[in-house]
Amino acid sequence: MLLEIDGLAKAYRKGARANDGISLSVEAGEVYGLLGHNGAGKTTLVNQVIGLLRPDAGRILIGGRDVVADPGYARRACSIQPQATLPIDGLTPRQAIELVGRIRGSSAVDVRASRARLVDGLDIGEWLDQDGRRLSGGVKRLVSFAMAAVAPGGLVILDEPTNDVDPVRRRLLWAQVRALGDEGAAVLLVTHNVVEAERSVDRLAILDHGRVIVEGSPAQLKERVADDLRLELVLEPGAEPPTPAPFVLHTVATGQRILATVPSTAAAAAVGWADALKRAGRVEEFSLAPATLEDVYVELVGRADALQNGNGGQGAAGLGGAPNARRNREESAHVGAA
Amino acid sequence: MSALRSYALLVRWTGLRQKTFLPYAVIIQGLFSLGIVIGYPLLFPQIDARTILFIATAAPSITLITMGLVAVPQQVAAARTEGTLDYMRSLPIPRVVYLLADLTVQLLIVLPGVVFGVVVATWRFNLPIEVSPWVVPAVVLVVLTATSAGYAMASLLPPLIANLMSQVLVVLVFMFSPLQFPADRLPDWLAAIHRVLPIQAMGEVMRGTLAPAEFPVSAGSFVLLGAWCAIAFGISWRVLARRR
Repeated sequence: MLLEIDGLAKAYRKGARANDGISLSVEAGEVYGLLGHNGAGKTTLVNQVIGLLRPDAGRILIGGRDVVADPGYARRACSIQPQATLPIDGLTPRQAIELVGRIRGSSAVDVRASRARLVDGLDIGEWLDQDGRRLSGGVKRLVSFAMAAVAPGGLVILDEPTNDVDPVRRRLLWAQVRALGDEGAAVLLVTHNVVEAERSVDRLAILDHGRVIVEGSPAQLKERVADDLRLELVLEPGAEPPTPAPFVLHTVATGQRILATVPSTAAAAAVGWADALKRAGRVEEFSLAPATLEDVYVELVGRADALQNGNGGQGAAGLGGAPNARRNREESAHVGAA
Repeated sequence: MSALRSYALLVRWTGLRQKTFLPYAVIIQGLFSLGIVIGYPLLFPQIDARTILFIATAAPSITLITMGLVAVPQQVAAARTEGTLDYMRSLPIPRVVYLLADLTVQLLIVLPGVVFGVVVATWRFNLPIEVSPWVVPAVVLVVLTATSAGYAMASLLPPLIANLMSQVLVVLVFMFSPLQFPADRLPDWLAAIHRVLPIQAMGEVMRGTLAPAEFPVSAGSFVLLGAWCAIAFGISWRVLARRR
């Protein structure tokens, strides 16, 4: 194991326990997702790994070495893309990427080759020699990724790497993340973007209130909802949310969008219900699809803010909410069979 | 990687980051020096040559001190808020090297303004400025001390308080420090405080090396300043290396 975290705990002076007994491990060559809503303890965990914070309890080993005792080693072994957008005013992307590569100990020749490959791979060549002040947020984010990847350590930590990045370059970015793993680095990917993580990670852990509540591969986690479908309803503007049909397992509302989880046996009934709502003019459109990792996440964490990319718990008041998640399963199976 | 290589790369990084700021810094400091050496004779037309020399040789100290105690805390506070400081701390660089590189760039930024001020004063008043070679260690010591103090202040205090503190210090330095007037004009208690604080010593080493014939400087001022420099540098280093 390249990264081993065991029983990690950290509480801030004023706040709650940010990390509360976290254990996880990441292998070399693996892309490991760390998921959780805002304030779940992800960044606190990262800052302990790279030695900016001192854990209250627990062990962190990188390549078998105790980095709580030797944070200097952690910084040599890890490269990081921080969550905050790095201002590189005064520097061009070329200078920023190459200087960081050399500060990380690579030779000028290696750094240049690596920089060229990354700039090509991320398609940011047109901004290569522009001053950092004139770059858009998305380009800055990509440059910041390149700074972490140009001379990667054994462990590469990426904190929300795709924020602000356009859809096309997001795909390029994910390909580069994958490439880091394929070249042997362990990648710790911190995100609350569940949909993207599902496609990109080998394994993942979901953090909630400083604890790991579940860990596994996306496929393993999705087994929990293998028999479920997600019914997405978009309400007509101003329409009241409908009372959930008896077969609905649970719902989460985010603004005009309502996600209802239904058992696959109730597929026909679900379509009928949604269609009736649409005819009644309460629902603008609907779709029925297999449940995703996002549904697992919502079921486990039980918060609508998970659906949002960074804007908190807007519209968290749902129809039923996850706590009742499994309550109606029997009943709904019955409906499905009818 | 050798510390020297890290140092050179970091000076380059910080220098490039600051290069847009450099012209403004030079202009502001130039105007500042100009204001002091030209403005005072307007306030006091009956000013004698020795007083002019006293004020002109205070200008560089004031420039250096305000730079260290005002501009540096503001920069450090900004770096903390925007996350740059934590990013730099996540790179594999010894903390002391990071600090030294930062101080070096600050020194390079203030130097042109100081030279400009001295040249202008000499030209305007035909001053008998015969600079001693000791001016080099004097400038380095003053910049290191003022900058480290600013650094320590900004690292220890919350950003808002640090900014406030730096404003208060400006008033203290300008109005209530024996830089532009001799210490014996201060009330005894304040003069006593200034014998321990580094501000007066900064003024003395600058004045004593810019016009050594008129204003002899004692080794004591250098020693006091050296001690303050070590303390401020040590605090900055510790704060930078600290894990919360």
